[in-house]
Amino acid sequence: MSVDVPNTRRAKAQAKGPFGSVGKILDELDDRLGVAKGGRTFMDKIFPDHWSFMLGEIALYSFVILLVTGVFLTLYYIPSSDLVTYHGSYLPLNGMRVSEAYASTVNLSFAVRGGLLMRQMHHWSCDIFLGAIVVHMARVFFTGAFRKPRELNWSIGLTLLTLAIINGFLGYSLPDDLISGTGIRIAYSIVLAMPVVGTYIAFWLFGGNFPGTAIIPRFFILHVLIIPGIMLALVGAHLYLLVRQKHTQFPGKGRTEKNVVGSPMFPVFMAKTTGFLFIVGGITALLSAFAQINPIWQFGPYEASRISYAVQPDLYMAFLDGALRIWPSWTFHSFGHTIPFEVFVPAIVFPGLIFGLCYMWPTIERIFTKDNELHNLLDRPINRPRRTAAGVSVGMLIAVLFFASSTDVIANFFHVSLEEVLIAMRVLVVITPLISYPVTYKICKELQASKGSGKRKVANTVTRSEEGEYVATPAPVYVDDMHSDLAAMEVPRFIAPSPDEVEEGSGTRVVER
Amino acid sequence: MKTSLLQRSLILPTLALISLGPIVLFVGSANASGHTQYQTTRKNAGTPYSSIVKKNKSGVVISYGNSAIMYNAPPSTLDTLGEALFMQNCASCHGAKANGVPANGVSAAYPDLVGLGPATIDFWIDSGRMPAADPRVVEAPRRFARLTPDQALAVAAWVNSLDPSLPDIPTPSLKNANVADGAALFALNCAACHTIEGDGDALANSTFAPSLRDIPAFQVVEAIRTGPGDMPRFTGNLSDYQVRDIVDYVTTEIQHPQNPGGLGLGGLGPVAEGFVALLLGVGVLALVGFWVGERE
Amino acid sequence: MSDHEQRTPVELKGLAANDPHLLPASKNPKQAERVIAVCFVLGIIFVAAFGACFWINAQPWKIGATLGAGLSFLGIGLVAWGKYLMPQGPFVEERHQLANSQDDRDAFAAAIVQRGGDVVKRRKLLGGLLGAGLGIFGVVAMFPLLRSLGPLPKKTLDSTDWRKGTYAVDITGRRVRVGDLAVGSIVTVYPEGTQNTDRGQAVDQTVLIRISNENFTTLKGRESWGPQGYLAYSKLCTHLGCPVGLYEQELQVLVCPCHQSTFNVLNGAVPEFGPAPRPLPQLPLYIDASGYIRAQADYDQPVGPGFWERS
Repeated sequence: MSVDVPNTRRAKAQAKGPFGSVGKILDELDDRLGVAKGGRTFMDKIFPDHWSFMLGEIALYSFVILLVTGVFLTLYYIPSSDLVTYHGSYLPLNGMRVSEAYASTVNLSFAVRGGLLMRQMHHWSCDIFLGAIVVHMARVFFTGAFRKPRELNWSIGLTLLTLAIINGFLGYSLPDDLISGTGIRIAYSIVLAMPVVGTYIAFWLFGGNFPGTAIIPRFFILHVLIIPGIMLALVGAHLYLLVRQKHTQFPGKGRTEKNVVGSPMFPVFMAKTTGFLFIVGGITALLSAFAQINPIWQFGPYEASRISYAVQPDLYMAFLDGALRIWPSWTFHSFGHTIPFEVFVPAIVFPGLIFGLCYMWPTIERIFTKDNELHNLLDRPINRPRRTAAGVSVGMLIAVLFFASSTDVIANFFHVSLEEVLIAMRVLVVITPLISYPVTYKICKELQASKGSGKRKVANTVTRSEEGEYVATPAPVYVDDMHSDLAAMEVPRFIAPSPDEVEEGSGTRVVER
Repeated sequence: MKTSLLQRSLILPTLALISLGPIVLFVGSANASGHTQYQTTRKNAGTPYSSIVKKNKSGVVISYGNSAIMYNAPPSTLDTLGEALFMQNCASCHGAKANGVPANGVSAAYPDLVGLGPATIDFWIDSGRMPAADPRVVEAPRRFARLTPDQALAVAAWVNSLDPSLPDIPTPSLKNANVADGAALFALNCAACHTIEGDGDALANSTFAPSLRDIPAFQVVEAIRTGPGDMPRFTGNLSDYQVRDIVDYVTTEIQHPQNPGGLGLGGLGPVAEGFVALLLGVGVLALVGFWVGERE
Repeated sequence: MSDHEQRTPVELKGLAANDPHLLPASKNPKQAERVIAVCFVLGIIFVAAFGACFWINAQPWKIGATLGAGLSFLGIGLVAWGKYLMPQGPFVEERHQLANSQDDRDAFAAAIVQRGGDVVKRRKLLGGLLGAGLGIFGVVAMFPLLRSLGPLPKKTLDSTDWRKGTYAVDITGRRVRVGDLAVGSIVTVYPEGTQNTDRGQAVDQTVLIRISNENFTTLKGRESWGPQGYLAYSKLCTHLGCPVGLYEQELQVLVCPCHQSTFNVLNGAVPEFGPAPRPLPQLPLYIDASGYIRAQADYDQPVGPGFWERS
């Protein structure tokens, strides 16, 4: 090598090559890892940017917030049911004998800087996480995005939902307050209700007869390590499959089964999605700043003989609680054995059936449609009336059960009798799914028949010329419609430096219609 | 696939039949038959523990109690006023002798008021439940009081003069109250009906546990000691000191919760939280997503 | 490896900057840029304010509001940048077929089926033994894991700590006497000595109610169980084990706050409404010579929710 050491700024810059020091770093990286080709492909990767594809991102970013705030909380939470005497800043609890788990949760809320905010953000983002998963799942279902080749990702998503519900319940239980303790008591009784093996599973899962001292430490390790670990791996697999199989897209101009039309990963999608991450974090923080969630200091510590009225589980468990409330008291008791059908059916068999149906749906649909093709273009829900009707039907069932979990609150709010509300719920839970199927089916069929539905109308301005001729001029197109008539192209490898600055107003692409 | 007119006309009846079976089973097993076994004998309220006893010149106890709660008998000078007020407002249902009217064989329709103690009478009138707007309701709701506190006291004085009994009108002194003990006792004794945040809820057979958000301290004592309506009565199992602690907790933390985490969401707990999370959380974020993404 | 000086990216296909695919969506990019800049400035201010609030340990809502506003403004600015100022395309990408050629598939399948078949078929005995060993290990490995998790249930769910002559005490440990409760009163009682234990709280908890009738008989065969109007029922709901702490003294019902099962106190706590399948077990009581309330015996059946072994 020559001893031609660059000594001017220009020479130094030149020595780094056309892409400067970043290029140099990338070169070094590629020498070792060979990332250049894949990296470029990744930068060019196209993401369709229909708004409904953002729903899954709400869930993803809530999960990120859960991990971050959760790590903060583990620094101060003590998973122990040993009794301590609370001496802290919340006076109504002063001198009370409480579990260490409860005391540490109250302390991290009041004595730790930013602790209450972090706890509320953790809880709010959990509720948002679960809600967003369900909404995302509904989008995937109604648009047929679960079809071949994406059945596996549908199953992974369902497993994530299941794990999220379980982990939400476990986390809700950790503060060991009056209301969550009642929830654990109910969960114990549900496990106990399994025929033949119930008592054994309950004793092994909870470490003995209720309540015991093993529950809090076990829930803790499940909540902070085992289940989040599995979820993290599954989220990774979910996203890997998304990238590998490429995103689905709605049919439209230039979109086929064989291509993807949208924005490139870098910089457009990256900017939008990172901005969205910030917004999800921001909204969660604002919600946590102004709306109080789960004030465990008011509930007090759990003691098995204390109870509060108006106890409901968090929203993701509400449908189970609703099912338990409205299922009749049918039980089996004979031959020296008891099968508590009043618990076993609504709390174990029913969710098993619903989740089983969801897992099996891609298969069920394939059996009925005999459709074994690969699908990358999405369905409009109205074009698949049977699937849409079935989805709405099951959704309505869950929705009624969701409301049934607050029969007492509804009765109190509208000042009607508890019994009437319960009977109404029992009727609705049967009627609503049965009615919503044919109604949805009919609506889909009607919408199919009406041509041009779903298309945005463009106004015409009619003017009369001096000769008396009427001329119709289409109004300017909507900003968002502007590039829909532009033929899609590959991501350019290189943008030629243009001599002229882009002029003011030149961003408008007027499209002839 | 075309459905014939016949097929279509059969769909709804079939659905109705399918749904009818479960409904009959479900509703049938609800078994919400009317429950009219009233076992109301309110007399003989237990004597509260008292360390201070004051008597008037003729030796009648006019006030008793301790440093936590003093119970004062309504002054007998109010008897005449009380009688007039009673005849005007109460006698039409409870009778001129205040001994109630059995109606349609339901013994508690218009209850006998004699011997219930001044605190009972005062509570029902002063909380606005009596005189009832609709005499047929089993459980009169709390309203603005129609009679002034002094008038309520007068009625209590006259009814008490018919058969002097306990408990008298309580005056709690919250100076040395222990709010932590009050919180624990509230969770054990009160939260099962009134909820842990004191908002009340719907109970069996169209009865309701009222909200505790705006109840003056002495009425809380009256309610605990006399057990109005369906509420159990707490006498010997709660000392005056314990009642005072509960009252302190109710009038501070229940009625003025600190809510350090933001809006209290009406004390509805996870129900309200769920709606807020779905509408304000997921809903707003979905709208933001609607802006971020494209609509075509 | 590379001589950077020698390289120019000449072969890269170019696209003019005024190509419609690269134009921003905004009609007025300058104005959009100003709005986005304002968003970022606000974001910076609020994020800095968040740091300040955190430092001085301000009230939670201030910390949250500044954090939320800061993140939101930064996010809105970034999204707007991407949405209004960056090249809007649309861009397109081919979807590469994931499936391989039939030859590749065959080769893959052959590797597994033929090689595996060769090995296992020739040595069937070895394969079988290995399989048996792994299978047994799998089953056996479950046992220590499961067995170490908790005790066997045995008969622990069948009985409580109430015995003949046990004193009923309240939460403070005070023995309940006959005059303590007025008519229409309720108190939660425990067998003496268990009031502060997990088992006493969770299993033995019992509600003691006084009704107006003296020596009331709830059911046939229970003539002596409720002396002087004192009735005691297990506080564990037979549905899911919540404490049935909600007593309505005029209706004479106990209601479970969890799922609203309603039990008739005067009728042996038979469920009248809701999902509970069985009456609450009644505890037989007697009043001793000194006026203390004591148990005649344990409950005549397991308390709380149902389970398989419950006969």
